[in-house]
This record gives sequence, structure tokens and C-alpha cells, in this order.
Amino acid sequence: MRTRVKEYRDQKKMTQQELADKVGVRRETIVFLEQGKYSPSLNLAHEVAKVFGVKIEKLFIF
Amino acid sequence: MIGKAEWFRMRKYGGWGITPATKEGWIYLGVMMIPLLVSDWLPGEEKIKMIVSFGWMAILIIDIVEIMSRMKKDEREKAHEAMAERNALWFMLTVIVAGLLYRAIKAGLKEEVYIDPVLTLALLGGAVVKGLTFFSLRKK
Repeated sequence: MRTRVKEYRDQKKMTQQELADKVGVRRETIVFLEQGKYSPSLNLAHEVAKVFGVKIEKLFIF
Repeated sequence: MIGKAEWFRMRKYGGWGITPATKEGWIYLGVMMIPLLVSDWLPGEEKIKMIVSFGWMAILIIDIVEIMSRMKKDEREKAHEAMAERNALWFMLTVIVAGLLYRAIKAGLKEEVYIDPVLTLALLGGAVVKGLTFFSLRKK
């Protein structure tokens, strides 16, 4: 799985901790998510997409 | 209770205690610790001071446990917790079954019967709990 989470987070000038706090996970989960090493639940993917205001399929490429 | 879960950082799986994430969290910890720190310097009987300190500590511990129980868990760490507990369970099961077999064989060689009621109940109970869990999760 490939993600564009880091790209969108950089655009929003948001830290990993800020994103983690917004979506209710630990910073480590965001690190693994950005590296494509962790497949998020649909709920988490939706929460992250909501923070960036984009559709899930734009953020996560399977 | 007194403190709020949102004042603290999400707890790491296997981690102990709470780490403030907001100024309210730091104020809460500071204020809650004051009676414990200053009780030694206050005038009065040692016994009463000790009872008050222990009472306050009990309130603090109950409140922190309550805060921790209300904290949302990270979904990745929830999966890790499940895997760690499954692995621990398999290890314990292996040791218990091997131990029971060893003792049963040893007793059998002496033409005796060996049944450990506690361990047998633990194994049977585990199987029942597993079955009930599968049954209750079927439609979820």
C-alpha cells in the first residue's frame, strides 16, 4: 500500500503528533502509516481523509 | 471523578501511568501531588498525617486508573496487544499441557491416576470461554 499522507500533512504544515491527536492514534501509528507499513482501519482512513478534506482513494493507493 | 482523559497523552500498550498532553494535565498532576509532598511539613500527629497521606494516595490512584480506563486506545496497538496476549496464551497452554502429560505419564508408570483439578478446569474453562466468545462474535 502507498500513501500520500505525508504529502498532504506537509501541505497543511502539520506535525505527525498534531495529526495523531486529531485522529485519535499515537504518533508511531502515523509514522508507520506514512511509510506504508501499516494498513489502517476504514475508520482511521476516513478520519485522516477528513482532516485533509480529500477522498480516501486519493490518500491511500492499494 | 477529578481528572479528564483528554488532558493526557494516549497510553502506549504496556506503558504505565499517564503523561500530560495539556496544561490542565500538568496542573492536575501538580495539584494532586501537593498534599503528598507537603504533608511532612504540616503540624499535627504523625499517625493522622500518615492516614491522610494514604487516603489521598488512594484517591489519586483510583482517579488515575479511572482516567486510564477512559483513554481511547490506538488501533495499531490494540492489534499488537491481541497478538501479544495470544502468543502468551499459547506459551502458557503448551507448558500446562506438557506438564500435565508428563505428570500423567509418570503416574501411569506407577499404575496411579493423576488429574490436577485446577489445571484441568483451567484448560476446559479456556475452551468454553473461547467457544462462547466465538458464539457472541458471530454476528458482529
